[in-house]
Amino acid sequence: MRIVLDRPRCEGHGLCEEAAPALMHLDDDGELVLDREELGDSETAAANAAVRVCPVAALRLS
Amino acid sequence: MSRPRRVVVVGHGIAGLTAADTLRAEGFDGELTIVGDEPRPAYSRPALSKALLRDIDDLASHTLPPSDHGAVELLGVRATALDVGRRRVVLDDGETLPYDGLVVASGCRPRRLGAEAATGTGPGTGAGRRDDALALRNLDDALALRERIASRPSVLVIGGGPLGMEIASGCLDAGCDTTLMSLGPPLLDQLGRWLSDLLVDAARARGLRILPADAPRPPADLVVTAVGDVPNDAWLGSSGLLGGGRLVVDSRGRVRQDVVAAGDVAAFPSTDGPRRTPLWTSAIEQARVAAAALLRGDDAVPYRARPYFWTEQFGLSVKAAGVMPAAGDPVVVDGTGDACLVQWPGAAAAVNYRIPVPRLRRLCETAVA
Ligand SMILES: Cc1cc2nc3c(=O)[nH]c(=O)nc-3n(C[C@H](O)[C@H](O)[C@H](O)COP(=O)(O)OP(=O)(O)OC[C@H]3O[C@@H](n4cnc5c(N)ncnc54)[C@H](O)[C@@H]3O)c2cc1C
Ligand code: SF4
Repeated sequence: MRIVLDRPRCEGHGLCEEAAPALMHLDDDGELVLDREELGDSETAAANAAVRVCPVAALRLS
Repeated sequence: MSRPRRVVVVGHGIAGLTAADTLRAEGFDGELTIVGDEPRPAYSRPALSKALLRDIDDLASHTLPPSDHGAVELLGVRATALDVGRRRVVLDDGETLPYDGLVVASGCRPRRLGAEAATGTGPGTGAGRRDDALALRNLDDALALRERIASRPSVLVIGGGPLGMEIASGCLDAGCDTTLMSLGPPLLDQLGRWLSDLLVDAARARGLRILPADAPRPPADLVVTAVGDVPNDAWLGSSGLLGGGRLVVDSRGRVRQDVVAAGDVAAFPSTDGPRRTPLWTSAIEQARVAAAALLRGDDAVPYRARPYFWTEQFGLSVKAAGVMPAAGDPVVVDGTGDACLVQWPGAAAAVNYRIPVPRLRRLCETAVA
């Protein structure tokens, strides 16, 4: 499974980072950085939580 | 406590959806049914008064990724009553759903002004008939509002809270002559003097006319009301679960052992007594706690309120964490003018300033320099 960011849509709330700190973080400029794009099975729950919490639907799983 | 085998979730907003996701993530593999009266999958409500109103080309700003909780979803169906003794939810299509665990996540709806105010027969006239006044809560409301403002009517927005101001901002952007009526300065009660002044100045600079709520009503082609919300708890009326007319839960979202609640409908304990916190991230955090409590009872981690709020209006994007409204002038931590990070004791805000929410939250917990 992959996590995909629709960058223009992301508003840098970083709520996703809070839900899945191992998978993504906002850098010093407030840009979201995906630390892991290819996900293992054990990370699916965290990835789902991150995708769900984003209020502008900038993240999705594929 | 025995684990439930059959869970029903009433309401498929973000709280209901998060509760369903959490139940699965916590290992619940029993029968899961979600009942929602909107005939469509859950979507992002905050987007309705922001991107959806602003970016007329973007029809998808409110969509949420599809769910994988594998629940039976009964959409377009409303719960009309609850029998806690026999553990059944009564639906408007005549069916009843048995449960041994229930999640109440039915959210809230806009408060409507009284007949006199809404018909324009009170102070001032020209506000149009009552059914001319729109309110904004769901996707249909947002699409209707978008359609109406496309022809650039003059608009009167009633209500100076965040929602009223976002709607006014969207109407101005669409080229509408826009007036807002507010009880006291807009946003003062919600955000405090400093942020209120900042946003009101930006609004005026863009051409928003602001009138006190008791002024004569100016004539307008379209009236939109945004005067607060009321919880959707009428369906619980005969259940005996409403205490003092409210759905009061404990710190784990429990109304009783087999019934939990989360999101805009639920009053959680706070230092000021039971309180609803009708915000997106609060709904999510409460739903996680409530779902865990349904499965694990006292072993679930209690809810800890960490309010986070954001708004986009009049060219400004504001994110705020901590105790709002914030009193007095803040200390500027970084930036200047229209792009800055500021701090009060117990609160912090970022204006046109990208910052991760966790950092903003840390800032409101550290002492002001
Ligand atoms: C236009 C708008 C903008 C907002 N902007 C922001 C923002 O910028 N930041 C922020 O933090 N918060 C914002 N909010 C608030 C935020 O959207 C809510 O706090 C959040 O959506 C609450 O989620 P919920 O699941 O508790 O309730 P809801 O999203 O209201 O979901 C409840 C669902 O249950 C359904 N339902 C109700 N009764 C029944 C019944 N008897 N049977 C079946 N189904 C039923 C409802 O129709 C609804 O679909 C905004 C709200 C609105 C309306
Ligand atoms: S929650 Fe959404 S908007 Fe916020 S940083 Fe993550 S992807 Fe971007």
